[in-house]
Amino acid sequence: MKIIIRLRKIIALIILLAGLIVLPHYLEFHYQDLLIFLIVNVLVVASYRIVTLTGEWSLIHAVMMGVGAYTAALLFKNYNAAMWFTLPLAGGAAALTAALLSFPLFRMTQFYFLIGSFAAGEAIRLTWMQFIFPFGGSGGLSGIEPPIIGSIDFMDPIPYYYLALGVVLICLFILYRIENSKIGMTLHAIHWKAPLAESVGVDTWRYRALAFIIGSFFVGIAGALKIHYLGTITPNQFGIGFMVFILIWVIVGGYKTIYGPLIGVVVLTIFDESVRGFGELRPAIYGGVLIISILFLPLGLESIYPKILTWCGIGSNSSDGPPP
Amino acid sequence: MELILQSIVNGLIQGGFFALFAVGLVLIFGVMGVVNFAHGELVMVGAYTVWVLHAQNGVPFIPVVMIAIIVVTAIGLLMERFLFRPTCNDPLAGLICSIGILFILQVLATVVGGDGPSKQVPPPYHGTLVLFDFLHVPYQRVFSFFISAAGLGTLWYFLTRTKFGWALRAVAQDREASALQGININRISMIAIGVGAALAGLAGALMAPLANINPHMGHNVIITAFIVTIVGGVGSLSGAVMAAVIYAMFHTFITVYFGGVIATICGLLLMVVVLIIKPTGIMGVKVSE
Amino acid sequence: MSILEVRKLTKQFGGLTALNNISFKVKEGEIHGLIGPNGAGKSTVFKNIAGFYTPTKGEIVYQGKKISGNQPHIIAKMGIVRTFQETTLFQEMTVFENVLMGSLAKSDINLFSAILGLDKQQQKAAREKVLEVLEFMGLTDRKNQLASELPLGSQRTLAISIALASEPKLMLMDEPFAGMNMEETNHMMDLTRKVQESGITIVLVEHDMKAVMGLCHFLTVLNFGHLLAEGTPEEIRHNEQVIEAYLGGAK
Repeated sequence: MKIIIRLRKIIALIILLAGLIVLPHYLEFHYQDLLIFLIVNVLVVASYRIVTLTGEWSLIHAVMMGVGAYTAALLFKNYNAAMWFTLPLAGGAAALTAALLSFPLFRMTQFYFLIGSFAAGEAIRLTWMQFIFPFGGSGGLSGIEPPIIGSIDFMDPIPYYYLALGVVLICLFILYRIENSKIGMTLHAIHWKAPLAESVGVDTWRYRALAFIIGSFFVGIAGALKIHYLGTITPNQFGIGFMVFILIWVIVGGYKTIYGPLIGVVVLTIFDESVRGFGELRPAIYGGVLIISILFLPLGLESIYPKILTWCGIGSNSSDGPPP
Repeated sequence: MELILQSIVNGLIQGGFFALFAVGLVLIFGVMGVVNFAHGELVMVGAYTVWVLHAQNGVPFIPVVMIAIIVVTAIGLLMERFLFRPTCNDPLAGLICSIGILFILQVLATVVGGDGPSKQVPPPYHGTLVLFDFLHVPYQRVFSFFISAAGLGTLWYFLTRTKFGWALRAVAQDREASALQGININRISMIAIGVGAALAGLAGALMAPLANINPHMGHNVIITAFIVTIVGGVGSLSGAVMAAVIYAMFHTFITVYFGGVIATICGLLLMVVVLIIKPTGIMGVKVSE
Repeated sequence: MSILEVRKLTKQFGGLTALNNISFKVKEGEIHGLIGPNGAGKSTVFKNIAGFYTPTKGEIVYQGKKISGNQPHIIAKMGIVRTFQETTLFQEMTVFENVLMGSLAKSDINLFSAILGLDKQQQKAAREKVLEVLEFMGLTDRKNQLASELPLGSQRTLAISIALASEPKLMLMDEPFAGMNMEETNHMMDLTRKVQESGITIVLVEHDMKAVMGLCHFLTVLNFGHLLAEGTPEEIRHNEQVIEAYLGGAK
């Protein structure tokens, strides 16, 4: 039985992967663009999940993405650094920032942490806005380009999509490994009962900080991936507005399992596209969906999946989650 | 010297506004445990009401302020009844719902006023009060200051001298114990958000002639309210008022010498420092275990 | 030979003195009872030993070293583990995972071996240790159940198993018998003795007099934050002051 479930998972994974590889060839240019941002946002929510595993909701994740993005942009603008170089350094810069911030931030918990992380993030973001040199002020920087290797120009959406997909899949794999390791388990344990974890020897401060640093590293990479394709960077891309979107994706998707946030970002991006015709009304529709999902689907979209299985008579075996 | 005195006066007036909306945020958080992210948008709605009725349709200023308070209070009450009450067991859900409202109110403002440049409301009171030959305070600001002070005074009277105020403070201290004492928690929550929203509406209406009105003006308001709340001590109303005045002076001074963005950065850093040194804020009391 | 020594421990909260100049010694290998009426400060003593509180005055010495002032996880790593008054478990994990958490908690964080799967050996050892503990505590049959689904008695046993898996030298047990019926109490007494016989020193805070008198080698009695009496269960049973405190205070 276990082997069958495993086999089913592997087959589902292969089908999904094949789908992701052929998908861009059937899409219009506009949707190819969108697909790249979607892939990047998948990494954003997956990395946010690591941070939230300990039960703390940080409001600085979007700014950490910006730290990565600005690092990549500045490296490219000033030293013409190659993308292979800017990606890990972007992650490293975000991780370093997170490490420094973890000293003040993790003295707080819950409400205080929420507000503290928000304040620290805004202070960083306003710094980008204030200093024209080197950050370009509120106008930001432009002309950040993806690499050209031989005859492949990554300015085209399809090659860049494959590049981003590769990077994101590697990152997702690493994040998955971490969550399923002893570290992930300890983070869960801290969430459920911090005093109990402490009393058997878990240094909760270090684990909280570690989760924050890991999450920031990967969202930093996501920032660099986004900015190399987009070409321009401004402080407002990483404001509370984007942070709110991250929260919405995670919460509407559901945060009990590793799949929830991914479902959330995919479904809501498709939804967002489908209401494009509403123009300026779009945020209000988003807000409405958010409220409705909180009131009527508090466990997120992921909680629908087992229900659907039950309806279809496939069985209520909830341990067999949806494919990643 | 003159610049310093002028800044102190400006800071004091600014502090009145800050206190009005920060106190509302504290009240809602204290009683319901919800961080109302849409609080800045409530202020924005207050300002838009003044713009629509006073600047566009010529209704006199004072009645418009009243109407703004009523409109914003109504929105607050609806939020309590349909969003915060059903999610009262999960503070995060309440916060997310308030973000949903934030989006909806912003779009509503865009629909009403269009997406163009910021709106201005011509000040209903003209002229400038001159003190000691060098202090210049426009009458509009003098008027706003006294109204905010009166608003805060009324709140103080309500909280310390009335039965509802007493019950409200009891709920803020211990929700469960208050329920056991027979206090109707739902009604107190209604009152808390009603009062909080009314103050936000008043703040918005008073600020309208002095500020740039646009759908996103709530953002700065909420940042300021957070700073004031944290510095003053979460759950402490007098702390919030004090912190509002201190922070307004601080902000005004740094704005004069270094510019607005630097002032906000410093404010945020101040808040982080306060969080590290004394997470309960300047007026907060440490809860003993 | 005393493994733990509490020296002139005083703890104040604001103006309130919860503990006043308390001193006692715990002998290695014994079950040491800490008793007293409600509000006597027993749990506060525990929290000071385990590092959740810092003493206002005085110190706590463990194996000849001062430990007071350290954080809980550091004290846990030295071999002092506490169990909690209310049933505190990782509710949404299985019994096996709960105990695994106890056994892994002390080991260091290694990110790279976690990603690359290089800590297989360590994981395997930990898993074997867990099975051993579950067998010892009689929880093997329930190992795949969620902690929240267990009956009260088993939840308490699990709490002790988590502590045991972290290989302590000294276990602080906070009211392990509270709310138990006769049968469960007897079972828990057997387990406690078993733990002690395996070489672990136990300090026990408990209200259930039958259990305390039956288990403990030595008792320390607190009353309103003061040390009231010390002695063997037999001595305490006949101590006038103790009888007075219990009869006069509680009922």
